[in-house]
Amino acid sequence: MLRKEQNDLLTQTGPGTPAGRLFRSYWIPALLAEELPENDCPPVRVKLLSERLIAFRDSTGRYGLMDEFCAHRGVSLWFGRNEDCGLRCPYHGWKYDATGQCIEVPSEPEASGFAGKIKLKSYPLIARGGVLWTYMGDPAAAPPEPEWEFITVAPAQTYTSKRVQESNWLQAMEGGIDSSHVSFLHRGDLNSDPLFKGAKGNQYNLSDSRPVFEVVESPGGLYIGARRNAEDGKYYWRITQWVMPSFTMIAPRGNHSVHGHFWIPIDDENCWAWSFDYHPIRELTPAELAAMRDGKGIHVRTEPGGYRPIANKDNDYLIDRAAQKAGRTFSGVEGIGMQDASLQESMGPLVDRTRENLVSTDNGIIMARHRLLKAVKALVDKGVVPPGVASEHQKVRSAVIVLPPDQPFKEGAKEAMIARPSVAPASV
Amino acid sequence: MRSESARMTTAAELRFRVQAPNSIGRATMVIALDAASEPFVGRLAQDTEQWHRATFLKAAGDETSLTGFDGRQRRLRDEVNAADQVIMVASAGGQADAAAAIGRASSDRRVTTTALIVGAADASDAEISKTLAQLRPWSLMVVIANSDDYVTDMMTALRV
Repeated sequence: MLRKEQNDLLTQTGPGTPAGRLFRSYWIPALLAEELPENDCPPVRVKLLSERLIAFRDSTGRYGLMDEFCAHRGVSLWFGRNEDCGLRCPYHGWKYDATGQCIEVPSEPEASGFAGKIKLKSYPLIARGGVLWTYMGDPAAAPPEPEWEFITVAPAQTYTSKRVQESNWLQAMEGGIDSSHVSFLHRGDLNSDPLFKGAKGNQYNLSDSRPVFEVVESPGGLYIGARRNAEDGKYYWRITQWVMPSFTMIAPRGNHSVHGHFWIPIDDENCWAWSFDYHPIRELTPAELAAMRDGKGIHVRTEPGGYRPIANKDNDYLIDRAAQKAGRTFSGVEGIGMQDASLQESMGPLVDRTRENLVSTDNGIIMARHRLLKAVKALVDKGVVPPGVASEHQKVRSAVIVLPPDQPFKEGAKEAMIARPSVAPASV
Repeated sequence: MRSESARMTTAAELRFRVQAPNSIGRATMVIALDAASEPFVGRLAQDTEQWHRATFLKAAGDETSLTGFDGRQRRLRDEVNAADQVIMVASAGGQADAAAAIGRASSDRRVTTTALIVGAADASDAEISKTLAQLRPWSLMVVIANSDDYVTDMMTALRV
């Protein structure tokens, strides 16, 4: 249960809101690089943190992200002509560069300097690891550029997709750290999904549907350990990483790639679910890439030309009751990503957390909310930089490890939970 | 199905969610396992209005009883029988061996146990390990919290 005022505080991320200020402390993923594939390509409308923006790539390859609407009479610059190092409004020809600076107002004499007095709000947009990142906070407080391992490995080792999720970011993110649902909702996929099957660890999962959990605060967020019995009295640990505010990294399986998510607010009722898979020491195979593009693992198949899932709430997620009854899927929805999204969207765009009845195994979620609330308060009251901004908080990995029964996983998996170039992930 | 009168949830549909209560209160037993955690649990015990469904106790040094913050002895079995959930609080590095008897009694009654290690920010790995080893066998969930205020947030979230 979360009080209404706390729920509002964490779920509202528009300009001027406390949680909005928190998100504006970080570099966040804004677009896939493929959305702006070449210089002078068509601009793309982007809504982030309840702000309507337009992204474009100019004639020199420079990326711009700025207020979507022309300063003249409010026309959407999505209709704009991307030409000669700027985006020109088709209505009266006002032209803007990648910083949002107006550089031409054809109806005014050039010597008047009028164009120099017009500037749209803009944000930096940088390409890293096939993703375009933006920072929407105070330019004077810009943090170091993102250092997540999935964007620093070679391009052939990593794959990122995104999909629209029609729910608030928090209920989506909370699904990412809710380790206890895996044994139910996704049980049908552990032995069939090409990006999961074959790992020895799957047998521990399937033979013990009641793991014991430990939640430990980390410098950037949380470590959430799920413990099951292994051989010789040892424990099999699956350790999820959560880094504030919305990065989650799922424990890997065998030699499969490592994967995780970012949950980024579009507005208060929709978010982007970013999904990445990478392997720290090898290239992804053609079969793996094909499976990811086909919506396997944590990825989903999206509508042609867009990022809305093919299975969505308008078609009841293509629910297959026969598959549910036969046990091929637990909820009747196909694919791990859509199994999560369908249930999270079914809560409504913004779930009423005053009506929840949380239980002991929800402590990961409770602790994440606790840390978010504290970080927001410290940021707003005292200007404290929140966890997750520092580069070292981003150089993390999820891990799977077998440890003696009396050893804290934080200690036993200490090295495994740090991202180190050319070091294999800890996995079973 | 075509016969259904409601489709997937929208913001507009959400206002039709039934507002009747969907749960009744859970009786919660909060136990300080060691001397260092007693003052903290004792402070919680004083807020009888906020935590009116909770019983606050401390380990008594034997395997069959607990002590109330009013100084009265209580039978462990009776207290566990009356509880829906048990929260055990221990300080990092503290002596948490009472967890075994409490955990055993809770397990017999199928009562959920949560263990909280407080004060972890100032504790060494060795101290945390020592306390963890005593709590782990008897807890469905273990939380290692850097700050004590997590406990009140957790109790609120669990509707204590």
